[in-house]
Parts: sequence; C-alpha cells; structure tokens
Amino acid sequence: MNLKDPEAMNEVIGNVLRFGVVTSAAVILIGTILLVATSGFSGTSMALTYNPNQVPHGTFDVSLAGLVKGLIGFQPFSVIELGVIILLATPVSRVLISVLLFAAEGDRLYVYITAVVLALLLFSMLVTPFIPAFNA
Amino acid sequence: MIVLEFLTILILISVFAGVFGSIVGLGGGVVVIPALTLLLGVNIHFAIGASIVSIIGTSSGAASVYVKDRMTNLRVGMFLELATTSGAIFGAALAAYVDSAALELIFGSILLVTLVPTIMKIGENIPKNPELKDLSKRLALTGSYPEPDGSVVNYNATRPKTGLFGMVIAGMLSGLLGIGSGAFKVISMDLAMKLPMKVSTTTSNFMIGVTAAASAGIYFARGDVDPLIVAPVALGILIGAVLGARVLMRARNPTIRKIFIVVLAAAAVEMILAAEGIAV
Repeated sequence: MNLKDPEAMNEVIGNVLRFGVVTSAAVILIGTILLVATSGFSGTSMALTYNPNQVPHGTFDVSLAGLVKGLIGFQPFSVIELGVIILLATPVSRVLISVLLFAAEGDRLYVYITAVVLALLLFSMLVTPFIPAFNA
Repeated sequence: MIVLEFLTILILISVFAGVFGSIVGLGGGVVVIPALTLLLGVNIHFAIGASIVSIIGTSSGAASVYVKDRMTNLRVGMFLELATTSGAIFGAALAAYVDSAALELIFGSILLVTLVPTIMKIGENIPKNPELKDLSKRLALTGSYPEPDGSVVNYNATRPKTGLFGMVIAGMLSGLLGIGSGAFKVISMDLAMKLPMKVSTTTSNFMIGVTAAASAGIYFARGDVDPLIVAPVALGILIGAVLGARVLMRARNPTIRKIFIVVLAAAAVEMILAAEGIAV
C-alpha cells in the first residue's frame, strides 16, 4: 500500500475506527448481557421514571485496580467500563495514526499541527483529572 | 423500572440520537441529555457523562463509514482542532469560576441568532467556490467529495482565522459546560469558512469526538460515566451513527441543512431552558 496516497490514508483511518467501534460495541454488549442475566427478568414497575433503588447504580469502581479486579471476576459493570475505555480510545488512535500518515505523506506542517493536537488531547484526557483546579 | 426496560428504552432513544447526531455533526447530546434527565429522571451529572460517551460514539461510529468515502476534511479538522482542544482545556480550568446559567443564556441566544444566516442559505446546494489564497493556501484547506449522483465537488476554505476564532469559543464551551458544541463548529465552517454543508457536518463530527475525548478523562475519573446508563447509550448511538452516516452519503446538501436547522433550534432552546434551571 502506498501511504503517500491520500486514499490510502482514509482507508487506514477508516479501518482503525471500524476496528475500535466494533470491538467496543462487542465488549459493551457482552457486559450488558451479563448485567441483564445477573439482574434477572423478574419484577416490573409502572413508574416511567428511573429509580436508583430498583436499578443497581453508582456502585462501580473507576480506579485501574478496581477495573482489573472486576474484569477478573467478570463483573458486568467492569466489562462495560472496558468497552467504554476502548470507545474513548478511538478518537485518540485516530489522531495518533494521522500523525504517522501525514509523516508518510511528507507533509511536515500537518505532522506538527497533528502532534500538538495529540499532545493537548493526551494532556487533557490523562493529566487534567489529577489537577485540583480542573476538578473544583 | 427494571433493568431490561431501562436498557431497552435507552437503546431506542440512543439509536434516534445517533442517526440525527451523525447527520448534523452535533453528536447525540442534544437528544440524550433531555431524554435522560426529563424522561428517565437521571441526575444531570450522569446525563452529561453519558452525553460525552454518546458524542464519541457518534463521531467514531459515523466516521468509520464516511472517512473512506472522503467526506471528512482531515486537514481542516486537524487545523481547527488546535483551537478546540486548547479552548476546552482553558474552559475546564475556568469552569469553577463561571456562572454556567449565564453562559447557557448567552450562548443559547447566540445559537438562536445564527439560525437567521443559516436559514438564509437554505436553498444552497454547493457554495460558490472561493479562491484558495493566503493562510488557507499555506494550510492546504481544500478538498473534494463525491455527490450521490457520482459527480465530484471541489471546494476551498476561506477565512480560516475567523473559523479558528469560532472554534476557540466552541472549545471553551465544551470545557465549561461538558457539551460537544458541535453547533458552533458547524456554524463556523458553514458561515465563516464557506464549506459545503456535508463537509461542515462531517468534519464537525470528526472534531466533536476529539474534543469530547479531551474532557472524558475528568468525567470518567469523577465517576460520572455510569456503566448502567452508558452501555445502552453507547450501543444505541453506534447503531444510529452508522445508519445516519449512510443516510448522509445519499442526501443532498439542502436536505442536510434543513435537518441541521431543526436540531440547531432545538439545541438553542435547550440551552436557554437549562439556564432557566430546567435540566435538559
């Protein structure tokens, strides 16, 4: 494949996105099936409003250790969380691959622009959650 | 409401949100947030967490269809993304010091005002192609895409600095309010940069995914991304986005604009209502 060809660039990015989307959907679906299976089909309510007492909610662990532990135990919420993380990673991988493909095209200016976008994105995604000013 | 009912209702709503979100480049937040808060009584924080995931789902789901079909302009998107990501970080840092109700009122009103020039262009199929010059030329903000009838439309972007300014605002709003602010992105590309409507909505669609991913870390770490709510939203949105992208490929620019106008009006009203304390 000739990476200098913009068509090829679109092709590669399209395939990466498709892979990410299909994988995350599959993992989230498995988690959802597990959730329904463990919650059971019994019990119904006429109330149209979501009731946190009837639907298990807010008891998930967002730490990495908690996620790993939940995955080993095949916990529905942890499996869903993994799928969501894969989904959150798709835009990041799209930007990352664009840097590489602009480099292959020999477009220096856009390698710089895209690299700055990637740096800003990673900073915002991974660093700002730990800066108190961003969480006030 | 039991789990299965809750999941089914939310999947159906999200398919609908994904179809429209992917066509107009706004993500699904406009539909997902009011559905969760008003219809299902979910807390606004979890609704925003779900909205962030819905935006990323719409963006990646739809783009997996039309990147290959050369609809999105990657250079325009990346150049403007410089402004949206920095704006989003700046906005997130300011969020604690700003009255969000006042912001929603101001920007909801701005969206209402932008309806006028957007409606004025209602019959436009393909915009008059401006000459590629100055900054647009240096940045190669040009491209082409295939129309449903097989013809290829060539286009050049104009006024990149105005577009960039619009994107700083859009990015700041994303950081401040936790929204995708796709409406401001589409408007900047449509009114300032004079891109064809489909290129504007699909490029916005690419950009909202990156902007939403930038703020996703904070919401995820806070525990606002609730698996129970997000699972059906993500599944529905992905299905809807793929369907919507296929519709977009076959639709003409004026049709896309008409749908955009309806969703834009809804987004503006929602923002103003939110300022009045109605959690949509």
